[in-house]
Amino acid sequence: MSALQKNLPIIAVLLIIIVGAAAFYAGKAAAPAKVETTTVTEYSTATTTVTTTVTTTVTQTGAPPTTTTTTTTTTTTTTTTPQFVTEQIVIGVTDKVTDLDPANAYDFFTWEILNNVMEGLVKYKPGTLDIVPALAESWEVSEDGTVWTFHLRKDLKFADGTPCNAHDVVRSINRVMTINGDPAWLVTSFVDRVEATDDYTVVFYLKQPTAFFLALLATPPYFPVHPNYKPAEVDSDQTAGGVGPYRIVSFVRDEEIVLEANPYYYGEPPKTKRIVVKFYRDATSLRLALETGEIDIAWRTLRPMDIEYFQGKAGFNVVEVPGTFIRYICFNTAMDPVSNKLVRQALAAAINRQEIIDTALLGAGEPLYSMVPNGMWSHIDAFKKYGDANLDLAKQLLQQAGYSETNKLQIVLWYTPTHYGDTEADIAQLLKEQWEATGMIEVTIQSAEWSTYVAQLREGQYMVYLLGWYPDYLDPDDYLTPFLHSEANSWSGTNYANATVDQLLTQAQAIPDQAQRAQIYEKVQEILAEDVPYIPIFQGKLYIVARSDVAGIVPSPTMLFFYSTLYKTG
Amino acid sequence: MARGLGHYIAVRALMIIPTILILYTIVFVLLRLLPGDPILAVIGTKNISPEQYEELRRLAGLDKPFIIQYFEYLWNMLHGDFGVTLATPRGTPVSKYIWQRFPATLELTIFAFAVSVILGLATGTLAALRRGSMLDAGMRVYSIVAYTLFIPWFGMILQYIFSLQLAWFPTSGRLDPGLTVDRITGLYVVDSLITRNWTVLKSALAHLVLPSITLGIVLSGAYTRLVRNNMVDILGQDFIRAYKARGVRGWKVAWYALKNAFIPVVTLMGLQFAILLGGAVLTETTFSWPGMGTFIVDRIEYRDYTSIQGAVVFFALFVGLISLIVDIVYAMLDPRVKY
Repeated sequence: MSALQKNLPIIAVLLIIIVGAAAFYAGKAAAPAKVETTTVTEYSTATTTVTTTVTTTVTQTGAPPTTTTTTTTTTTTTTTTPQFVTEQIVIGVTDKVTDLDPANAYDFFTWEILNNVMEGLVKYKPGTLDIVPALAESWEVSEDGTVWTFHLRKDLKFADGTPCNAHDVVRSINRVMTINGDPAWLVTSFVDRVEATDDYTVVFYLKQPTAFFLALLATPPYFPVHPNYKPAEVDSDQTAGGVGPYRIVSFVRDEEIVLEANPYYYGEPPKTKRIVVKFYRDATSLRLALETGEIDIAWRTLRPMDIEYFQGKAGFNVVEVPGTFIRYICFNTAMDPVSNKLVRQALAAAINRQEIIDTALLGAGEPLYSMVPNGMWSHIDAFKKYGDANLDLAKQLLQQAGYSETNKLQIVLWYTPTHYGDTEADIAQLLKEQWEATGMIEVTIQSAEWSTYVAQLREGQYMVYLLGWYPDYLDPDDYLTPFLHSEANSWSGTNYANATVDQLLTQAQAIPDQAQRAQIYEKVQEILAEDVPYIPIFQGKLYIVARSDVAGIVPSPTMLFFYSTLYKTG
Repeated sequence: MARGLGHYIAVRALMIIPTILILYTIVFVLLRLLPGDPILAVIGTKNISPEQYEELRRLAGLDKPFIIQYFEYLWNMLHGDFGVTLATPRGTPVSKYIWQRFPATLELTIFAFAVSVILGLATGTLAALRRGSMLDAGMRVYSIVAYTLFIPWFGMILQYIFSLQLAWFPTSGRLDPGLTVDRITGLYVVDSLITRNWTVLKSALAHLVLPSITLGIVLSGAYTRLVRNNMVDILGQDFIRAYKARGVRGWKVAWYALKNAFIPVVTLMGLQFAILLGGAVLTETTFSWPGMGTFIVDRIEYRDYTSIQGAVVFFALFVGLISLIVDIVYAMLDPRVKY
């Protein structure tokens, strides 16, 4: 018998004891309790020495008292602790943070995190679609609309105390243009060059007059970043951030990101010192985590059935977030039989939006009759002219197109099962039933996984297919040009081109006056409803579900969640 | 004998190479046979000019003929380079993800492995000692039920009972929100022991309980049957009767029998380890465990060729090494093994 063989039983017994003890110990530890970490840096009385001679003390209403002592060579700033209402709030999501570099990040949730740790020259006021000054105090536009001059605040600092000025803004935007990542077009398509004329003045020279330039400026590619970001390459895991209410303390990819109040932030300090965002695999785990108290808030994205469950449950608050996210049907206008406009119009008349919202989404949506979302300026209910479940009109149009109950229209409807949530198959099924209710249509439903789906629809292989759109910038232009302008819609596989529409959209981009632009967009929406390359179905709603002791949730129509107003009661 | 063992190990180690080559080839071909485009999966519904698209393909090396891509990746892999990711964040070395994710899977696997062996040995021994009794029948049912349990379903049941109702253990993840530990090995239990961070250790162990029990129970079924059958065999052999004749009683007999029944169990351990890693994929998705399994699942959705190839080859290499170690242990344990 070898020594190893002799010792095996002993090893086995030891293993049993160790594991047993560990399990017992862990069991007693009773997991869901919130544990304070010991590794957090405290800055209850932060004393910082910087080598500037000028210090500006800004006191805003509601801001904590700030005392400033000035010496000739160094400035010692003693900041009394902001009185945080709450130590820590944990938010759970099923989304991911893909890339902490605003030069490369191009998905909605990552943009939300960036919006909490960085700001641009302008920003959206939480809870509204109003653009307000952020890092810039004021700005002017040249008469021809191509030169925009911004005047920066003089008290800007990054989260480690490094001052931030006009040169940082220019450096960051040039960096985005050099790296030329996925979101870079938001800069490169519009900005010719950007310059700092002094430490606090940034001048943008645009390629063409751009009426919605402020909306573009509020997107992450325009946010100034800390000098630590690699100058000419993507820096995906960089946590230095920008100038925002929070700074990033730690980021463990696909596990969690920890944010802490930025002590150098110029604005009102956040109410909660630390925000932990935990990443979950799916809605089921997210819901369980909220129920067990592992997290305080469940954000993007629970399923409609989970929302319904929490709405009826004591101890939880469900806050509705009006969405700018739209869902629609696309047609490949080059493919028979949907190349016939009458057929597309008939299909638009036969659908029943409310039924889809009530049945598939359990109410989590709003009927949409244009590509421009409800509530956005220039929106008109262009598709209302067809009605909903208007079978008479649908039949009439189908007859005109040469179809009958014996010679049925054959439609192939495509959807993708995972990308837009579990409800997608139900939506497709409902559309099939609604179309087939005319008695003149036969629908075949097909599905493909996301990576296949986008590749094939772009190649124009699909006839009728479902898609959704999250905006890049909040302006009617972003809901019309990418869909209808023949130079911008090749991604859609619709093969839609209309010279009048192209010309109108190009024209509208350059008009500074909103009322005049609105008139043009209304005209474009009317043409859209006549040509029907897309059928808008609904505008999505999101929900924030929180334990009832969480307060200060401000739902924003931008669909971005700003964490700085959150706190706990009691 | 020492020379013979060295030779045996060398031969077994060399056999890993063709195994991995075959696996790499299968993964490479299957991925390219699937429809879908890794570049477009990321771009989604956003506009991209044909020039930009071609540029991205070129950067990712997808413009080259398949056969060139195949050998290029193979060549790089031999130099320890697993390529860069194609899905977001694009261009990150795959090896970085492997080093980040693998320890999570390894930690889960080790604990689940321990659970499965302990449960398997206990249930199998009990069944053999009470052969023909209700307990034996019960254990046989246990073995079959455990073996056929669907991990996501079973995991959810445990989450429901032990997290939601009893609030004993957390539902998902590896640590409580906001907790961090200095990363040394990436195994949080080990790291927290090294750094003497007891808060993290408690949290890490609490998070391990449900996933490792889920996976451990599912895999213990196979051991139960094997141990029982071997024990029954051995308990009927002459040397056991000799023990009994000399007055050795009860648990002592069981102990001698178990020692002898252990050899085939070691073989099964080697085989089970590969299955364990497979089961880890399902366990990880159920418990939001940030390991290799969830990584591969995520990346398949985006057709991230390099990440999937890299992760699968690394997995295979690891399983190959484990089975090599098991074979060596086996050879040392059982003098009948010829090499």
